[in-house]
Amino acid sequence: MKSALCRVAGFLLMGCLTAQAQQLRVAYFGETVTHYGLKVAYEYPLISRVKSSNNARKEFLITPGLAVYNHPHNHVGVVFSPELAYQRTGRRGGVFEVGLSNSYLRYFLAGQTFEVGENGAFRRVRMAGRGAYLPTVSVGFGRDLSVRHNRSLAWYARLNLMQQRPYNASQLYRFGIECGIRKPLKRK
Amino acid sequence: MKPCYFCLLFLLLVSLSACEKNEMADTERTLYLRHKGADMPIWVRGNLASNKLVLFLHGGPGDCAMCYRHYLKGLEKDVAVAYWDQRIAGSSSGKVDVKTLNYAQFGEDAYYVVKLLKEQYPNTRIYLLAHSFGVELAWQFLTTGDNQKMVSGLMAVNGTFSTFRWLVQMREWILREARLQNRTEIEKYAQENPVTRENLGTYKWPELYKRMLDLGGNPVSIYDDKSFVLNYLFASPNTALAQFSHPEAYTDYGDHEIRTYEKGPLLKNIEIPVALFWGKKDGVVPIEIGYETRDLLSKTVPAFVTFEQSHHEPFITETDRFVAEVLKFVR
Repeated sequence: MKSALCRVAGFLLMGCLTAQAQQLRVAYFGETVTHYGLKVAYEYPLISRVKSSNNARKEFLITPGLAVYNHPHNHVGVVFSPELAYQRTGRRGGVFEVGLSNSYLRYFLAGQTFEVGENGAFRRVRMAGRGAYLPTVSVGFGRDLSVRHNRSLAWYARLNLMQQRPYNASQLYRFGIECGIRKPLKRK
Repeated sequence: MKPCYFCLLFLLLVSLSACEKNEMADTERTLYLRHKGADMPIWVRGNLASNKLVLFLHGGPGDCAMCYRHYLKGLEKDVAVAYWDQRIAGSSSGKVDVKTLNYAQFGEDAYYVVKLLKEQYPNTRIYLLAHSFGVELAWQFLTTGDNQKMVSGLMAVNGTFSTFRWLVQMREWILREARLQNRTEIEKYAQENPVTRENLGTYKWPELYKRMLDLGGNPVSIYDDKSFVLNYLFASPNTALAQFSHPEAYTDYGDHEIRTYEKGPLLKNIEIPVALFWGKKDGVVPIEIGYETRDLLSKTVPAFVTFEQSHHEPFITETDRFVAEVLKFVR
């Protein structure tokens, strides 16, 4: 068991040391256009391979991110997403990616909250809200402008399918759209 | 690059400021009641200067309140309206035990909602506007202790006081409609399955309900109204997909709790003003239930308003008249 863990750790460390293209993502994040927010993520390639036959780049990334969104008159949500993603960049710069994340949602109710106390009196709860597990699957596309336009920038859009657990007595599915840019922290 | 960052910064500032802006207005206030695991939103909208507040008790159970604002907004110019999403309904959230989905708990929640509104708006008269299951909830609340003294009146819309009487009248409606529409197989089913006090505990009421819908007992669907759907998805504070997560929580309620509901003998204690609003074509809760309710309310003189062109939701099909009748009652 220990040796297996050491091997995985070593593999990840090697990946981190050899990878060069760390990137920062900044994006619009929201359930719809009216439930708007912002997401910032740091992209860290674990494995990066370029296929010699067609110059396509395949990468496995760790992308820890933080999103804040506002569902007006309902709640403000903060999502921490330690995402694992696979990304393929074609020779013309087209990007396809899929991601999986064990996200955590902390939301704050967008209104004054009063809790019923044991004696039946109300107690004001400041910053009322709850935490929830938010497993997320993402699919996205984009374009790396460094490939053909010599600009160290990429744009991307993705759809996130999220499952909030617990939600009341079960779970709640949420869709999130994400559109933004990806900026290399180091020149590739 | 710079314009991109400015755009994103602008979006962030707008998102952070939007909530604050609306919270400042008295007539656009959002409250939450936290009770026994549930965080239940109460959106207060409209004319608070009128010192009259209509608390909307939505149906279902498991439906939503704020979603119907689309049809009730006409009230807000004259009175304030409180849209309360009940536990495991609408946009209510939290971590809720399904065992709390019982009439006693719904009544207790209603008590605290009214109490909270009375504390927040001390000089305001509160009227209940209850629809379908909301009517059951209203009778639960009003027939408990001195609760009726907390409110100034009830408008009951197409809802029952008794599960047994509801099923009896729904079956009668099915028999009448089946004969009119020459649906012999449905007529035969209803004839072979009478509702009695003895079989109420095991009666397959969803089967009866399905046949009522087959006969056109309530053909109105809010999802056919595109402006409602657009408003629901983009312009209201509802949690859009939550409506699909609620029904599974009500399995036990539908199997057991609903069969225990009986407030008929207690209606004679109701002294506050009551209006009964009924969509005449309704097969879900037929108008005969309205007549029975009127006859049981012996200590008050209920107004009876019939909506000739409506089924189960007269506020959807005859919106303007419905709003006018509500305002007439609270004046």
